[in-house]
Amino acid sequence: MKNMIKKAALGVAMVAFALTSNAQINKTKKAQKDTEAWKYEIECVGIGKPGTKVIKVWSYSKKASVANAQAKKNAVHGIVFQGYAGGGQGCTNQKALVTDPTVGEQKKEFFDNFFDVNGGKYMKFVSHSADATPEVIAVKIKGYKYKVGVIVTVNSNALRKDLEAAGVIKGLSSGF
Amino acid sequence: MKKTILLLSLIVAGITVSFGQAKKPTIMVVPSDNWCNLNGYMMEFDNQGTKVKIPDYKRAMQENTDVLLVISSINGMMAERGFPLKNLESAMKTLESNAAEDNMRSSKESGASVNENPIDALKKVAKADIIMQLTWKINKTGPKKSVTFILQGLDSYTDKQIAGAQGTGAPSMTAEVSVLLSEAVTSHIDNFNSTLQAYFDDMFENGREVIVRVQTWDDWYGDLESEDYGDDELGTIIEDWMADNTVKGRFNTTDMTETMALFEQVRIPLYDAKGRAMDTRKFAKGLSKMLKKEPYLIPNKLVMKGLGRATIILGGK
Repeated sequence: MKNMIKKAALGVAMVAFALTSNAQINKTKKAQKDTEAWKYEIECVGIGKPGTKVIKVWSYSKKASVANAQAKKNAVHGIVFQGYAGGGQGCTNQKALVTDPTVGEQKKEFFDNFFDVNGGKYMKFVSHSADATPEVIAVKIKGYKYKVGVIVTVNSNALRKDLEAAGVIKGLSSGF
Repeated sequence: MKKTILLLSLIVAGITVSFGQAKKPTIMVVPSDNWCNLNGYMMEFDNQGTKVKIPDYKRAMQENTDVLLVISSINGMMAERGFPLKNLESAMKTLESNAAEDNMRSSKESGASVNENPIDALKKVAKADIIMQLTWKINKTGPKKSVTFILQGLDSYTDKQIAGAQGTGAPSMTAEVSVLLSEAVTSHIDNFNSTLQAYFDDMFENGREVIVRVQTWDDWYGDLESEDYGDDELGTIIEDWMADNTVKGRFNTTDMTETMALFEQVRIPLYDAKGRAMDTRKFAKGLSKMLKKEPYLIPNKLVMKGLGRATIILGGK
């Protein structure tokens, strides 16, 4: 009898684990798709040290924690593909590092690996700002409940150099 | 056999290297005339009754720490991008020391001094292919200060602005001017480089944009309207050569008279037929050679100015 209970408990635990993992994978996949579909917003919040960009990233999700976790990836994605408009705090508009709109498709494999949530290289170029408390706003958009704003610092110089070394973008002195 | 393979490898490597390297333009940061004038770094001359003001860069570099800070910041950031710049202060010092050396130098055998014609003397100025012209102004509103910052990339030969970034920073009551200037450089340099990159991309795709002039010596018997050299006027023959040798036939005939021709927006290829890097002098050399040969037999002199301007003077050397 005891054995039966043990086996049942183990079975329930395994099913629960599988469901949780599956849910987590689904959330991750959705967050990945959201990044690719530009479902985030970035704004400049100040002038950082030379070679860095201090930006606020607004990400959307059903769970505030997922949106918070996506902030770093969205920030790097934004600097690479989107750029941002100028504003207060002395911010000037910044163009995206990738100026050719076809590069995203041409180098799809590179960017899939680069923005992989499980250990993608993008993590190397972004950090949470020291005084960054996520700003959570409830929204009524189909498929999303929260809009989460997080201030992050992107090491844009190192990011640009990495993309140059990978042949994704051209350096200023390439060809000379 | 091994030797042959090695030789072939070297030839292939040589061709690859020579194809991969276009002539790199030099860039130098220079404070604008406007900034020099507002800050009192100008020299005044009386040119036959007309007062002429020119910027006194040497005094600006010696007396103003802010200008050094901004130039140094820009130089550092450009070097970090793999594009080190010519430094204005160093270029001026080199000119001075070269002039002193030339004055003192004499031949060991004959005692002759170094030759210098008036044109050589005129050309002895700090120069670069692209000038990064720098202007800033401190704005004050009550206790608040802000910096308006303008950075222009100017092509020394075509006079075109090829890159730029400008804007006014956030006002501050506490930050020092040097901090505001550093912030201005940090926030504008990426935009500047982005427009400069677009200019280089266009250059690699459509050729380098240069200016070619054709002039005539006043003792030459011929002129550009002469039909003695073929079916058409000499000016038209030169235009045909330009159309055949420019990238996609791109050039503008800005001026054409019997004594001169001015071709602007001339797009020259970055490499010659042998795959070697090309500049305007090399490009114009082709026209010069053609005019010297039959049926034209026009002696001429080729004069260059940096990477982007060449003049052919017809009628002699």
